[in-house]
Amino acid sequence: MTFFTIVVRGLIRRPVRTGLTLVGISIGIAAVVALVGMAWGYEKSIEKQLDVIGIDLLVSNMSAGIMPKVYDASIQEPISKLPHVAETTSVLMQLLSIEDAPMMMVSGREWGGFTWNKLKIVEGRMPKDADEPAVVLGVLAAEVLKKKVGDTVQLETLELPVVGIADGGAVVENGAILLSLKIMQQATANEGKVNFIDIRLVPNTPKTAIDELCEKIKIIFPEGKARAANEVVSANQGFRIARAMSWSTSLLAIVVGVLGVMNTMLMTVFERTHEIGILLAVGWKRKRIVYMVLCESALLGFLGGVMGVTIGAIGLKILEHTPAIRGLLEPDLSPKLLLISVAIAVVVGVISGLYPAWRSSRLSPSLAIHG
Amino acid sequence: MIKTAQNSAGELVYEAIGLKKQYDNGKVAALRGVDFQIRQGEFVAIVGPSGCGKSTLLQMLGSLANPSEGVLKYRGNSISDMADPSEYRAHEIGFVFQSFHLLPTFTVSENVQIPMFEGKFSRSERAERAGELLKSVGLDHRLGHFPSELSGGERQRVAIARGLANHPSVVLADEPTGNLDSENAQQIIELLLQLHRDLGVTLVLVTHDLAIAELATRTIRMKDGRVIADSGATPLIDSP
Repeated sequence: MTFFTIVVRGLIRRPVRTGLTLVGISIGIAAVVALVGMAWGYEKSIEKQLDVIGIDLLVSNMSAGIMPKVYDASIQEPISKLPHVAETTSVLMQLLSIEDAPMMMVSGREWGGFTWNKLKIVEGRMPKDADEPAVVLGVLAAEVLKKKVGDTVQLETLELPVVGIADGGAVVENGAILLSLKIMQQATANEGKVNFIDIRLVPNTPKTAIDELCEKIKIIFPEGKARAANEVVSANQGFRIARAMSWSTSLLAIVVGVLGVMNTMLMTVFERTHEIGILLAVGWKRKRIVYMVLCESALLGFLGGVMGVTIGAIGLKILEHTPAIRGLLEPDLSPKLLLISVAIAVVVGVISGLYPAWRSSRLSPSLAIHG
Repeated sequence: MIKTAQNSAGELVYEAIGLKKQYDNGKVAALRGVDFQIRQGEFVAIVGPSGCGKSTLLQMLGSLANPSEGVLKYRGNSISDMADPSEYRAHEIGFVFQSFHLLPTFTVSENVQIPMFEGKFSRSERAERAGELLKSVGLDHRLGHFPSELSGGERQRVAIARGLANHPSVVLADEPTGNLDSENAQQIIELLLQLHRDLGVTLVLVTHDLAIAELATRTIRMKDGRVIADSGATPLIDSP
């Protein structure tokens, strides 16, 4: 028999109560995994999209929303002439409700720009030119919309034929509807407007030169800002709000978990007053009793964490395939998130056990034995 | 000044000076001034009617309760002033209770191992020693059983084995036969006597059974919170 045996025995003596507490903790941790996994997943998906397309800098006017405000497309020309800029292309991208899908990424891209280059047509063809009123669907978008080449898609005021289905190499690309910038501007009544200018830099441009370039872009476009592709998501206020909301909702779930474990451990200590008295009478130190109670609550937290991570991961995988989410993000189930979630659960367990442990350490062995 | 000394030539283990214990803000007096000495290797029976304070006294000897007044010393050190009384409970004494007080969710062997967590035993040493102790009380065939599967006499034998886990020099037994039938009570007393003889432990036993008390080398009689007779005490004139 080891000390761990004693800790485990303490928990399994009331299997139903322990089980219910585990369910309580695991729901809280599952909420953490699901909500934070979604938030992180969305950020990672956008970052991967930018990486796949090969964008070094993005010029946009970020607002509190998920998508930046539109601005005049004429800004692109002076930016393209700045030093170290190898290539620029304009994009008008919006999240729109398309037919039965509640929200889809629709990306109007300057015809001939490098943002078209990484798309691999798996069925059909690309639009013939900038003026062709047609769309290409990412493979996931085609699945979500249940469309094939030859069908039509209602995009705001325009009904556009699907001429191709493409693999973009990233979830967000594959979940998007792609069309020429000009047609997108017409469909959304944004003629002459864009909300991104994507920039490719001359290879090996030093950091100082990139900073200088960003300063120059700021002079050309004071309302907007040029950011490195990997900073776009973290700088977006909408993403920040989403992340804060996911953590605060998770916090509520965690608080519920803390109360659940604390209640269980207090009940355990009250119920085991006699047993703790015996342990003290046979020579156990008070700190060993405290350690035992804390280990029990930490073990409860750990087991609840493992259960919660499993439930959360399964839940995220199910969510990933729902029409509302599919193609918009690839949930983050990285080991980092899973470890953080289990660590939170263990900390929850330990914190919840502090008061019951303190109570147990205050017991008088004589009174505890004789009631 | 008169003080008492014991007939036994052993080292002084306990010394009680003016012990008083009050409960309920002084409304109830369990001990009203108790003085005695106990030496190493004695078998002392504390007898008296219910409520005379004998169990309270045993709790004080076991550091489960502190005196309201007076001093109780163990080998010259005041028990209530000990920095860590758990050390004393773990290594110096073994407790045997009337109600056995075994932990129901642990096996017989595990119950005996429980005190050893405060000793320097490895996992295998704990299991091995529990096996030896249970063999010495005739329960080596019950190692994996739970207390609920044992008779009262067997449970008390497990409790005795647990009390000896950390090689104590004193065993404190509080009405160890109080919950047993006469046959089992006889066996338990014989077992305690054998351990007292073979291991040389000091045995302090609280009982209301005079037949058991007669087996002791010394009897302390209590009434109304006071010692009214001590068969082993000899008055001495204190030297200046």
